Amino acid sequence: MAFYIARRLLATIPVLFVLSVIVFLIIYLIPGDPAAVMLGDGASPETIEALREQMGLNLPLLQQYGRWIGHALQGNLGDSLFMRQSVRAALAEHLGPTLSLAVLAELIAVVIALPLGIRAASRRGEAADKALTGFSLFGITVPGFVLSMFTVLLFSVQLKWLPVSGYKPLSAGLWTHLQYLILPALSLGIVQAALLARVVRSSMLDVLNESFVKTALAKGVGERGIVYRHVLHNSWLPILTVVGGSFGTLIAGAAVIESIFNIPGMGQLLVNSVQRRDYSVIQGVVLFVAFAYVLVNLVVDLLYAIVDPRVRLQ
Amino acid sequence: MTAEPLLQIRELKTYFHTERGRVSPVDGVSLEVGKGEIVGIVGESGCGKSATAQSVLRLFDEKRLASYEGEIRYGERDLLRLTPKQMRSVRGNEISMIFQDPLSSLNPVHTIGDQIVETLRLHQSIGRREAAKKAVELLRLTGIPAPERRAREYPHQLSGGMRQRVMIAIALACQPQLLIADEPTTALDVTIQAQILELIQDLNRRLGMSVMLITHDLGVVAETCSRVVVMYLGQVVESGSVRDLFRKPLHPYTIGLMRSVPRLDGDRQRELPAVPGSVPPLHQIPSGCRFAPRCPYADDKCRSSQPELAALPGTDTQVRCWHAGRIAGWEAAQ
Amino acid sequence: MTSLTSLDSATSLDAAEDAAENSADSITTADERSPAELAAGRLRLRRENRRLFVRRFLANKSAVIGSALLLLVAVVSLLAPWLTGRDPYALEVADRLKPPGAEYPLGTDNFGRDLLTRVLYGTRMSAEIGFVVALSSSLLGLVVGLYAGYVKWLDQILMRVMDGLFAFPAILLAIAMMAALGPSVGNLMICLTIVFVPSIARLVRSSTLVAKEQTYVEAMHALGASHNRIVWKHLMPAALSPLIVQGSFVFAEAIIVEAALSFLGAGIPAPTPSLGNLLSDGKLFIYNSSWMTIFPGLALVVVVLAMNLFGDGLRDLLDPHARRAGKKR
Repeated sequence: MAFYIARRLLATIPVLFVLSVIVFLIIYLIPGDPAAVMLGDGASPETIEALREQMGLNLPLLQQYGRWIGHALQGNLGDSLFMRQSVRAALAEHLGPTLSLAVLAELIAVVIALPLGIRAASRRGEAADKALTGFSLFGITVPGFVLSMFTVLLFSVQLKWLPVSGYKPLSAGLWTHLQYLILPALSLGIVQAALLARVVRSSMLDVLNESFVKTALAKGVGERGIVYRHVLHNSWLPILTVVGGSFGTLIAGAAVIESIFNIPGMGQLLVNSVQRRDYSVIQGVVLFVAFAYVLVNLVVDLLYAIVDPRVRLQ
Repeated sequence: MTAEPLLQIRELKTYFHTERGRVSPVDGVSLEVGKGEIVGIVGESGCGKSATAQSVLRLFDEKRLASYEGEIRYGERDLLRLTPKQMRSVRGNEISMIFQDPLSSLNPVHTIGDQIVETLRLHQSIGRREAAKKAVELLRLTGIPAPERRAREYPHQLSGGMRQRVMIAIALACQPQLLIADEPTTALDVTIQAQILELIQDLNRRLGMSVMLITHDLGVVAETCSRVVVMYLGQVVESGSVRDLFRKPLHPYTIGLMRSVPRLDGDRQRELPAVPGSVPPLHQIPSGCRFAPRCPYADDKCRSSQPELAALPGTDTQVRCWHAGRIAGWEAAQ
Repeated sequence: MTSLTSLDSATSLDAAEDAAENSADSITTADERSPAELAAGRLRLRRENRRLFVRRFLANKSAVIGSALLLLVAVVSLLAPWLTGRDPYALEVADRLKPPGAEYPLGTDNFGRDLLTRVLYGTRMSAEIGFVVALSSSLLGLVVGLYAGYVKWLDQILMRVMDGLFAFPAILLAIAMMAALGPSVGNLMICLTIVFVPSIARLVRSSTLVAKEQTYVEAMHALGASHNRIVWKHLMPAALSPLIVQGSFVFAEAIIVEAALSFLGAGIPAPTPSLGNLLSDGKLFIYNSSWMTIFPGLALVVVVLAMNLFGDGLRDLLDPHARRAGKKR
């Protein structure tokens, strides 16, 4: 098991490296002088030069990367040009709402997808299975942000059940918190559920074909026992992988949806920064989310070891 | 038939309803297993022996794939008439089954002990702790060293032979009257094979448990069984006592199978003859005698009409061949 | 191997036959039939294949519905300028925020522009971007995947870069790049291509790794074929049918990401009618002018649905293996 963990950790390093290089290089996609673009038209050559110096743009490329990643590893992602605060502080401020939204959406996705996928797999070909096929087509076809605008139209504008937009932190009370989050989380979660349910179904079908299912049947285990004790227990790996992988999609989806619901999360921070050309914040957000995404997947891989004794006892 | 019958299969037909139409891997099989008897069922792969075995426990998916016809009489009951719930209380309790590949047949994410406990608790009202204790006893009974430790291990930590012993322990948990062993030694090394067969024989003698042994290996049958049923393309072609059948096989298929077994005292220079051709797929069943296309004795009659399984006068051998009488004479003359 | 019918069975076996065919001029074959006879036979086979393909196509519901919808989208995209006879930029201040009615079938927006015309143009824009992105990322991914799969040392480098790109959620990476490049249709196409190359490259690479191990490829080596010839003539066909299927999904996905980016103001600059921009306008008036949200939203769903159904159908037809794996009991 120690070997397995070490191998997984090592395999993560090159991915993180390439990822950081890509984020670093984003600045160089800016046509012309990044410092001049950031400061806008009215800036004097002196201010531009000062910013170049501050950002280290005058150093050789390799050295720039070294400086940048060195700082990033210490948690220093630079300063925002517009918000008079460090990127780290800005991230910390906007992390909560996004995390709340993503976790709630993931929860909704799992709660919908698990029973649906299990039902479809154990009654393949029947109505439940066909419903799942339709649902998963719906999931890949209707983008989360379109769905959420439709839900706003229905629940907030027509029925007036829920607030149209805004955000109240958890400290304002769980119910208030959820009231503002439920619509965005539902739209994100439903789309995610469609994908997840399909994975649950297909990974369960794979296991249903295994010989030990026949053994269980021959032992006199009933349908429920087969599904829950034998099949589901062996299907967790692909399901976990998708749940872990969906975290990144959810954060990205949250970024778009936050702007619909006016939720002060990382998505809104990103979008605002794009409009202000605040590149250090853009880099910070993207680097942070991608790192988190890779690390979540790493954690999922390590969870395998707990779920599957074959990995654990390797 | 010396022993009192425990299981009587009469005209069993198993249908698979596939996208390409209906096939019947088991097509009118009749056979008996007596109390305390070990009956071998032999044939090449694709002959329906395994499908017959699985049909006894109705393991095929009756909602989507399979349907059965005929009768499987077990004691007072016809297994084909039982409700799903009644059937579940037969499986693993009164009739148990073990499979070819013990690794894939054991659930990789549960400990061996838990997998035995599951069977015990399904069929008996027994506490978790007591069941765990009993599981260790069962492992000991099947000859697994250090059973207390093994019970806490997972299937992949055991050797192939050990795994099959575990499968047998699971099968024995509720002291069934009949064990169906579907190619139990095929996936194992030769030395381990012998040990597993010995274990099965030993359990048969000590517990009086009947065994239905499915194999493609005539050597296994000769060593282990008292009676044998030879199957070809979903039908029984010959059955009888092991002694009679080995001394005087009557169906050309049986003869072919026997010739393809290497003999220690045989001429080593001579090439081993095999049954020519191969088992045709189920949707291309020949008309007439099903074995005719591969049979050296086949004539027009064989190709046009199908022979019935008929008892040979004066023996308890049954054979499905138009030429059985002549073959009996020919073989005697040799 | 360019026609759709030969793609139908672009399996390794087929490619092997092809290989045998290509080397036939240097190796005497045992076949006694005349070249004319052979050619006639091959033609017959091809015609038979085509007929089979058509029958399977018609039996495939998602392929038929997807193609029909796709045709609709294509017609709308091509004929957008003539369908309503209106200018998508023409402002009619007096007719601001008119609900759907006789004069404006889908209503007008906050500037009094005809929504139907703008939705048609937006659909056209979506289709255009989806098409270009699917095509360019398929081509780029094909090259990267083939060479990564064929050349060992390149594999390490190329696939590490692809892994790195793959680690970003698609929308996020696209937003960051668009922020640097600045919003424009061309830049959007470039960014989306970069975002979608890794998934294609991975797919092509894995099929290449399998095809490379086939005996006939080794035989080609022995016959002295150049690396480039092996890659393009023998490994590429094996990757083609999964590539086309994946390409159709990238088409759909690119349309979604484009809409999301434009919606956020990081995609296509404002007055240009794109479905994302229309939805973005709709968001501002969601209270009183729901049509500004509903119709662009529906149009987006229809375009994506068409592509997804088409891709699903295509996979069933080109890659029956994948279907069986997906539907196995």
